[in-house]
Amino acid sequence: MMALDIKNLSLRINGSALFAPLSLRVEPGTVTSVIGASGAGKSSLLNYLCGILPPEISAEGSVRLGSEDLSELPPQSRGLGRLFQDPLLFPHLDVAGNLLFGLRAGNSRRVRRERVAAALASVGLDGFAERDPATLSGGQQARVALLRVLLAEPRALLLDEPFRSLDDDNRRLVRELVFAEAKQRELPTLLVTHDQEDVIAAGGAVIRLQTPRQRDTANA
Amino acid sequence: MAGLVAALWVGLDAPALSRILATPGIGLSVASSLWTGSIATACALLLAHLAIALAVSGNWQRRLNAMTLPLLAMPHLAIGIGLALVLAPSGVLLRVFSPWATGFELPPDWLIVNDPAGLSLLVGLVLKETGFLVMALGAALGQVPSARLQMQSATLGYGPLKSWLTTVAPALQQQIRLPLAAVFVFGISNVEMAIPLGPDLPPTFSVLLWRWFTDPDPTIHAQAYAGTLLLFVLGIAAIVAAAVLGRLVRRLLRISAESGTRRHTERPVRRLIGIVLAAGFTLGLLSIVAIGLRAFSGQWRFPTLLPDRSSLDVWTDVAALSASVAGTTLALAAATALLGVALVLPAAEGCKQSANTRRQVGAWLFLPLLLPQMTFLFGVQVLLIRLRIDGTFVAVLWSHLIFALPYLWGLLAPARAAIDPRFDQVAATLGASPGRRWLTVTAPLLARPTLLALALAASVSVALYLPTLFAGAGRIATAASEAAAAAGSGNLRLAAAHAILLAVIPLCIFAIAYIAGAMLFRQRRGVPR
Repeated sequence: MMALDIKNLSLRINGSALFAPLSLRVEPGTVTSVIGASGAGKSSLLNYLCGILPPEISAEGSVRLGSEDLSELPPQSRGLGRLFQDPLLFPHLDVAGNLLFGLRAGNSRRVRRERVAAALASVGLDGFAERDPATLSGGQQARVALLRVLLAEPRALLLDEPFRSLDDDNRRLVRELVFAEAKQRELPTLLVTHDQEDVIAAGGAVIRLQTPRQRDTANA
Repeated sequence: MAGLVAALWVGLDAPALSRILATPGIGLSVASSLWTGSIATACALLLAHLAIALAVSGNWQRRLNAMTLPLLAMPHLAIGIGLALVLAPSGVLLRVFSPWATGFELPPDWLIVNDPAGLSLLVGLVLKETGFLVMALGAALGQVPSARLQMQSATLGYGPLKSWLTTVAPALQQQIRLPLAAVFVFGISNVEMAIPLGPDLPPTFSVLLWRWFTDPDPTIHAQAYAGTLLLFVLGIAAIVAAAVLGRLVRRLLRISAESGTRRHTERPVRRLIGIVLAAGFTLGLLSIVAIGLRAFSGQWRFPTLLPDRSSLDVWTDVAALSASVAGTTLALAAATALLGVALVLPAAEGCKQSANTRRQVGAWLFLPLLLPQMTFLFGVQVLLIRLRIDGTFVAVLWSHLIFALPYLWGLLAPARAAIDPRFDQVAATLGASPGRRWLTVTAPLLARPTLLALALAASVSVALYLPTLFAGAGRIATAASEAAAAAGSGNLRLAAAHAILLAVIPLCIFAIAYIAGAMLFRQRRGVPR
């Protein structure tokens, strides 16, 4: 796997920068945490990386995966797996349907179903294939959302406070699961969070996003 | 817009205007239009507010919606014809009480339907528009924190009715200004209810215009053209007057709110309102039943409640015509619904992010509903004749679309905007192309609102009478146009035969949409309704 490389990134809304120009490199198999106050542009950073920045925010800088420049690619071609704050399972599909949507194309229907069943079993959800996502608990939904991302075989993981809506026990379980998968697949992982425990569990570099004004006062 | 300008241009014809003003009874005509339209709108608005207030505080809002749905689905013409059959001296209502209570062996010589004061027209309008306003208020309820406002007022010692009228109603009123104005203008300028129910000799102004328009003598048409201008002026004047009156009512409500008076019990008032609502609902149902009875009955001697024998006589007369009429009606409804949804869905897609744009588009689309139909349609007709497509199916379809689009937009644009944009983003990060994302994620989530929108557009199309008459140049016959023509010539039996189509088609369409919507994603709780 290749490293995720952000160079001199600045995001502007109506001309004013959200944060000071940002450069960072996430090595395969490591988790870099991004922290900062609400409104510091953490979610916008992830939106930029995914290529789904709203039109009122303009971006300068580049993002590379290995040697490939991602900045000009459409979102569906970037191969970045993203977990949102909420599981966002498609409500009109059953659990298996959600996972099949994520799973790369190819193979027969039967093989694909088997892969989905195996994936569910690997996170302790065997037999959940035909369930309505709306009937799952928060922790179960979070695990299905993770599987959906992983089955799409991403080249890097972007985590947007994905553990926030879970209760304490589930938060620990899901967090360990996510980090273990990221490490095992050697995915460079960027974690956006408010939670100090997340940062400690991630164990990697920590970046604090600051508005340019905050940085000025810090320097003074 | 062009339609309006064209109407004004052609309508400015001084000699024709002076001929209108010289028509005997014209003053009474205009007065009865204004009187029925404004009183009906005021009553309907009050009833709708009270009904919603009772339903919300009594927790039976779903039941209220279910009750208003059949009345909503039923076209004005069908309710009008049905009500005429119920209220007439030989109608269902008197039969229920005769002869045991009234002693009547023969229908009394009363002028109930088509009464000079327009009371039966008033009842019809109130019945139909209360349903419409209940729906509009129900939709606006989502924008107002009504439950919290009422709870707050309750802890201050106010009953649900007073707290509704003083705290919730003013906020809701802001949200339904456009639909209310449409109801008002329709009340003044409609012919659909005024033909079967309205006064005669002189008729309401709009019916007078309608008679001139459909008169075989072309010299009278100039009068009709100029009349649409007068109708337009009446509509504007009425809206201005309503705005002024609205301010007054708001001030009164504020005085009432600031007076601090509380009733110990609102129960008698609530019971009274409940009775009025139930009576209105029963009357509506009776009129639907009456259409069926009349259409299928042969001889029907007066005091008996049910027809002596059912008869298909009328149907042998109508059948030959009716098949093609039903065909045209259904084809227009289907085309309006499909084309309308096909136009609105991409537009809703484009406006999903900006509530402001959605409101503006909605207001523009709503404009034709704020004009008297005859004024607007007359202008459209002038344009259609210029384009040499008047009297064609396409022209009628276009006119139906104009009237269906505001409803489609009102339903689909918010539904599209309500879908969490992150579903699309999730699909994108999972590698799905924009086309695939729309087909596999957005479209299924919109399926239920779209079904409802199709049914709504189709039933709007079925109900439209004047657009069919004007754009069709009298050459396109639908259930509505046939029923109106029959009712206009006083043949209620023939009118009922056509009104059956008018009533059954929308009910079936809504039933199908409802069942299909319930079947779809039955196992998925999270799919938006």
